[in-house]
Amino acid sequence: MRFLPLILRNLGRNKLRTGLTGAAIGLAVLLVCFFLTMPAGIDVFLSQIASNVRVSVHHKGGLVYQMPFAYVNKIRSVPGVVGADGVTWFGGAFEEAGHVTFPSFAVEPEHVGAVWPDYHIDPAALDRFRRFRDGAIVGRQTMEKYGWKIGQEISLRSTIWPVTLTFRIVGEIPNARSPLFWFQREYLAQAMQARNWTLDIVGIVWVRIADPALVDGVMAKLDAMFRNSPAETAAETEKSFFASFFGSLQGFVTIILLVTGLVALCVLFIAANTASMAVRERAREIAVLRAIGFGRRLIFGTLVAESTLLATVAGGSGALLTYAFTAGVKAAAGGWSTQLGPLAGFLVSPAIVGEGMALAVVVGLIAGIAPAYGAAQKPVATILREVF
Amino acid sequence: MRGLPLSYPVRNVRARLRRTALTIGVIALAVIATSVFLALITSLKHTLVASGSPDNLIVLRKGSDNDGSSMLSLEAFQAVRFLDGIARLPDGTPLVSAEKVMQPFARTRAGGRENVLVRGVDPVALAVHDEVRIAEGRMFRPSSSEIVVGRGIAGRYANADLGAEMFIGKRNWRVVGILESGGSSFESEIWGDLRDVARDANTFPYSGVRMKLAPGTDRQALIDRIDRDPRYALQATPEVEYYAEQAKSAATLYGLLVILAIPVGVAAGFGAANTMFAAVQSRTVEIGTLRALGFSRATILRSFVLESVVISLVGFVVGAIGTLCVAFVLRLALGGIGFGAQTYTINVVTLRVRPTDLAVALVFATAIGLIGGLLPAWRAAHLRPVEALRKA
Repeated sequence: MRFLPLILRNLGRNKLRTGLTGAAIGLAVLLVCFFLTMPAGIDVFLSQIASNVRVSVHHKGGLVYQMPFAYVNKIRSVPGVVGADGVTWFGGAFEEAGHVTFPSFAVEPEHVGAVWPDYHIDPAALDRFRRFRDGAIVGRQTMEKYGWKIGQEISLRSTIWPVTLTFRIVGEIPNARSPLFWFQREYLAQAMQARNWTLDIVGIVWVRIADPALVDGVMAKLDAMFRNSPAETAAETEKSFFASFFGSLQGFVTIILLVTGLVALCVLFIAANTASMAVRERAREIAVLRAIGFGRRLIFGTLVAESTLLATVAGGSGALLTYAFTAGVKAAAGGWSTQLGPLAGFLVSPAIVGEGMALAVVVGLIAGIAPAYGAAQKPVATILREVF
Repeated sequence: MRGLPLSYPVRNVRARLRRTALTIGVIALAVIATSVFLALITSLKHTLVASGSPDNLIVLRKGSDNDGSSMLSLEAFQAVRFLDGIARLPDGTPLVSAEKVMQPFARTRAGGRENVLVRGVDPVALAVHDEVRIAEGRMFRPSSSEIVVGRGIAGRYANADLGAEMFIGKRNWRVVGILESGGSSFESEIWGDLRDVARDANTFPYSGVRMKLAPGTDRQALIDRIDRDPRYALQATPEVEYYAEQAKSAATLYGLLVILAIPVGVAAGFGAANTMFAAVQSRTVEIGTLRALGFSRATILRSFVLESVVISLVGFVVGAIGTLCVAFVLRLALGGIGFGAQTYTINVVTLRVRPTDLAVALVFATAIGLIGGLLPAWRAAHLRPVEALRKA
């Protein structure tokens, strides 16, 4: 610590260079952190939102094939099933946006509480959802995106069904990352009935199972129940459902990580160069310090500390700036997106900021070691002679 | 005094082999980072924008925003099929392609599961979609469970190989051909017989209709006529506009990448320029010596900048080769980069490094060489030779 003033003085010698190097390291760490939020979004989603006792039952051949609605009651009768809710994709487009900007589903309101207790929807809201035919429960992300309030009326034009329906928001899913829009299946059924079409199909049945130990058995039983029927099913846990949903983003994630790695390497070179320039410029001075008796370890230590300090401070600020940067990007582009899924969540976690800081410290250390070692090890006489 | 001989920078490179190799390496890294990113952006854009023919219309159910979610009845198809203004084959068949679009599951080569876009068509489709051609194999035969797969599909999904049986949705289909469309989104589709696909889907017979207009047709009049038919709620859109609209949904992704390309370029460029800067700055004494010997500033600057730019160009060449290798490995390992399309299927982007991407990287590398070489050499050359000599 006694040498901190010396280190600071040395950093202040060439303020322009220190500033530029710091800015470059900060920018690069910021970028690395930002890129890391994208794949991390998937992990967070899978670990926090997706449950392993909730199971999706859908047609084996694809989500596009519908199942008979009667399946839902059959599923409810299976032992171990706590609740089941048949949901149907509505593909509602909010007129202001013009296209589908959040996922909307027709659900069975009386079973929402049993299947999604972990969503912590206000019981009073669930009660209203059951009572009002045109009621809708909306995820907080979508509520905030459009500034909707509970009690407000919203019209959605379906891109699948030939109807435009007007809903009244009766409650919200209190999770800032939930884009969902749920409304009563009966409302859609009646609207279709008016067009002489009976709504007797369902897209996905979400099933909650009593105990994690029962999950595999119940899934096998469900699939066995519908084997050799016109609509064979495939049951899978919510985690696996979303994991395969997001699996297709793997290529994108790989490229993002590759670019991240290259950017990180570039930072390393920036820091290493600055460190070696500093050492070269001060070669004579270091030799003099050595000649008057300062130890090798001390020289080595102060030089490494200098580069580490610069990288840590600059990188740390970059990592912290990630919060502001992602907030900006989110405001410009964020929310639910068909293309990016949870990649567009841009959720900066303390772990990511930690990784960014760690990167900065490591970069500073590695960058400082080689030139500092050289300066500390070379015989004094050689250095002094090199310097004319 | 004469200029510095060309052998001077050449010898210098030989004398400082390690330092030069380091500089080349860093520039190559910067080139790879920026051009892989650029290639991703341009490949993405190309896939989205290049689809559709200017003289085609797409007819969907009113309210649908893509043919994956649209449903049309037999009557609706018959109502538009024989309208005036539609091009016809010599035998009188109108160039109208009724299509059924499905999004069943298919297995990826990596073992995952994705929705793929299956388009059921009649043979006339190839005449309507004139950018689509069968590149390998042949067109499918009707009602025989044969399919042709897009180039992007062929690389990405299990058994999507010529002659193989590919499991899609509920059953196996035989792959008999590979279709290409110059990189547009049709290459992320599977085409099969209209009736085969419709039977498999078990819903409305058609999703949408594509039609080619006869030359000289009043496009807007035809669109109005289709839109205003009170019997069927239809909407007609020029195909190019339709795909531009589809592309809009990826605008977020695209815009994001473009915004990020700037800081990536700055960070990488700064790293590389910094290395170059250091390499030249470490030769301040040498520049002082040259000045003391009587070489003019201009001569010295010219020689040093030339050397830096040449080193940058070598770095660019190494980086360009690296980029092509990276793109090749990624193509092989990932089978294309998938991202969700508005039809909830996967658009397969084949990462192609285009000459324009490399041209941008070339400018970038040259700029690094110029700035990284000129600044420190300028500074050293403008010191009094005595001072420069004292600097170490």
